[in-house]
Amino acid sequence: MTKKKGKIDLTATAFIAPAFILFTLFIMVPTISSFYYSFTSWDGISPKVTFIGLANYKEILTGGRFRNALKNTFLLTLFISVLENLLALCLALLVDNVKWWKNFFRSAFYIPVLLSGIVGGFIWKIMYNYNFGVVNSLLNTFGLGAFKQDWLGNPALTLIMVGVVLVWKGAGYYMIIYLASLQSVSTDIIEAAAIDGASPWQRFRHIILPLISGAFTINFTLSLINGLKVFDQISVMTDGGPGFSTETIVYLLYKVGFSEGRQGFGTAVGVVLLFIIIVLNTIQQKFLRSREVQL
Amino acid sequence: MRKRMIAAMMAAAMAGSLLTGCGGGSDSQTTAAAAGGSQETTAAAASDQTTAAAASEAAAGEPVNLTFIFADGDEGCKEAMNEIVNRFNDAHENMKVTIEPGIGGSYDEFLKTKQSVGEFPDVVEMRTPAEYVRAGMLEPLSDDLVALFQSTIEFDGKTYTAPLSGENTEGIIYNKKYFDENGFTEPATYDEFIELCQAIKDKGDMAPLVIGGQDIFHIGFWFHKAYNDQVLSQDPDFIEHCYDGSKNFSDPAFKATLEEMKTIFSYGQDGWVSTPDAQITTFLVSDMAAMMYSGTHMFSNIEAADPDFEIGWFPVPSPDGKMRLVGGGGATGLAISAESAKDPDKKAAAEEFIRFFFAPENYVVYCDTLNFTPTTVAEIDSNAAPILKEVIEAVANADEIGPMWNARVGNEELPPDFRNFVYKTTVEVVQGQRDIDSACDEIQKTWDVAVQSFNPVTGVGIE
Repeated sequence: MTKKKGKIDLTATAFIAPAFILFTLFIMVPTISSFYYSFTSWDGISPKVTFIGLANYKEILTGGRFRNALKNTFLLTLFISVLENLLALCLALLVDNVKWWKNFFRSAFYIPVLLSGIVGGFIWKIMYNYNFGVVNSLLNTFGLGAFKQDWLGNPALTLIMVGVVLVWKGAGYYMIIYLASLQSVSTDIIEAAAIDGASPWQRFRHIILPLISGAFTINFTLSLINGLKVFDQISVMTDGGPGFSTETIVYLLYKVGFSEGRQGFGTAVGVVLLFIIIVLNTIQQKFLRSREVQL
Repeated sequence: MRKRMIAAMMAAAMAGSLLTGCGGGSDSQTTAAAAGGSQETTAAAASDQTTAAAASEAAAGEPVNLTFIFADGDEGCKEAMNEIVNRFNDAHENMKVTIEPGIGGSYDEFLKTKQSVGEFPDVVEMRTPAEYVRAGMLEPLSDDLVALFQSTIEFDGKTYTAPLSGENTEGIIYNKKYFDENGFTEPATYDEFIELCQAIKDKGDMAPLVIGGQDIFHIGFWFHKAYNDQVLSQDPDFIEHCYDGSKNFSDPAFKATLEEMKTIFSYGQDGWVSTPDAQITTFLVSDMAAMMYSGTHMFSNIEAADPDFEIGWFPVPSPDGKMRLVGGGGATGLAISAESAKDPDKKAAAEEFIRFFFAPENYVVYCDTLNFTPTTVAEIDSNAAPILKEVIEAVANADEIGPMWNARVGNEELPPDFRNFVYKTTVEVVQGQRDIDSACDEIQKTWDVAVQSFNPVTGVGIE
């Protein structure tokens, strides 16, 4: 913000100030104050805020509900990070290589991204319905009635079913990033490899894949963060149930904060989640960055 | 220099527009400030006179806008509320009530979310008034409003809610034609009820019971029945005793509650866990289930879904032979926001709305549409269906009546959202994810944490 040492650039300051003030007021102040509230038993409504030290964090470490939410969050994040990226890469390769209707496929695969999580969740909830849903109706129609399931009622399946919806919704977004990366790979290198006798698989494995590894880093980072923050679909489709089988950390945070009147504990859960995201993201960045190839 | 000036002007314009954006609620802020100034006047003078004066002032001046939120999960409820609000708006040129979309399933969470983003409505249906009263968010009702009702629930000598109806009595609503065709009769005891469920299950043409397990409040209907049978029958002050530590959730009576839930839910339809409450009517009128357990509000839903459907109703006795039903007055109802009441015009309009709502010619719409029992002193000219009269008679003849376990106040009031934790854990038990002992342990752990911040017996979280 200084042009010369000790001299403030007023123009730059004037441009930055509005955004800086708003960012500070609505992002930084709440974030910092949430650290304070995580040490209190504030109920979220009353003006009375009581300092309780580390009690909230102790409960997080010892409580079974947080452990269950943590397990669900990790399983869901792993499921969607892997499948979203796998599917997105396949779709990107398909769209990149298809000869006809390229734009149609690109749009069709991207449409779920445009739907809000709530709307998409409702659509799938209706489709998954045991008695009236299209999934079980199709199974019946094709004589596969024995495979009918209560997709959102069976605790062994529900997390996977929610994961499928998240993959369906997110894959189109990651496809666009992979597609952009694929299209930036020079055709000269691919052609040279082909002339040297490399098979399509060898060209993909040893040339294309390393060259698009930057897209992997971005996509895995985004899908990891999105997986850790899943809320909409859980809220609409399962309400964390049956029982607590799909309760994730963010959903637990919401439930205890807004339902149970324990904003202090909810905020502590949020703080723990923040550190989990930072740690996982740092590890992931280190791992993926080391595999990136620069031309 | 010129560039710098242009840049500075643009930056100023940008900052100005952002600040304007921040002041989106400037009207309400002005109103609040004005209300703040007039609040002292209101306090100094007799409040009724002030609000009456404000009402006439409002009638002569700017229109007063009120926001109104209710738990609109039920179609009949939406229909009745819209009708009464439309009538109010037509009859009052200078007052306008706007219904803001509510939510049926998790209404308490919804209200708290609205409150946290500064959108708490002027008039609101209160399902859990105690915590809002303690937080100072509700305005006490004036004496003339309280006088409209047969009885109200008081908090420290003041009434905050205008009871919308007598407590919603739950019972079995069944397919009468199916019963008649198959020789099934209304059971006189709990054991006969279980035998009836088994007989329908053995017949195999439809599920004995349809359960809307996806909506946690529906689980609550059944849970209260089992809890009433097993716990309240032995100790009406069980929750108070849990607060003072003389009892806990590993009590044999509480375990028996979960056992009863397991027994009853074994007669639910396939896919009951993921069936929403809004869908259970379809099961009943489509011959997919013979019975449902719900409140009287379901009568109109069933009639709307299939006018030719023959509805039967019976209450389910407790295993000890006594008839315990949900009934009588409760603490829930319409309330006025304390923040809104700082503006005398708004307070007057809100009171006028409540007065209008409970006027016999309007209130009858609500009671008849939802098949609710009225709470007003003034009698309404009700066209209640014969089946509702059957319910009213059953309540009158019951051995014990009272509100649901989660609708009690005083030392029986549950910690916030504790009931939902219990219901979800109950679902785990019924689905076999947990055994009863482990469920009781989990519930007790959650209780132990909850009472650290809310305990009406010791006063923690109450003051």
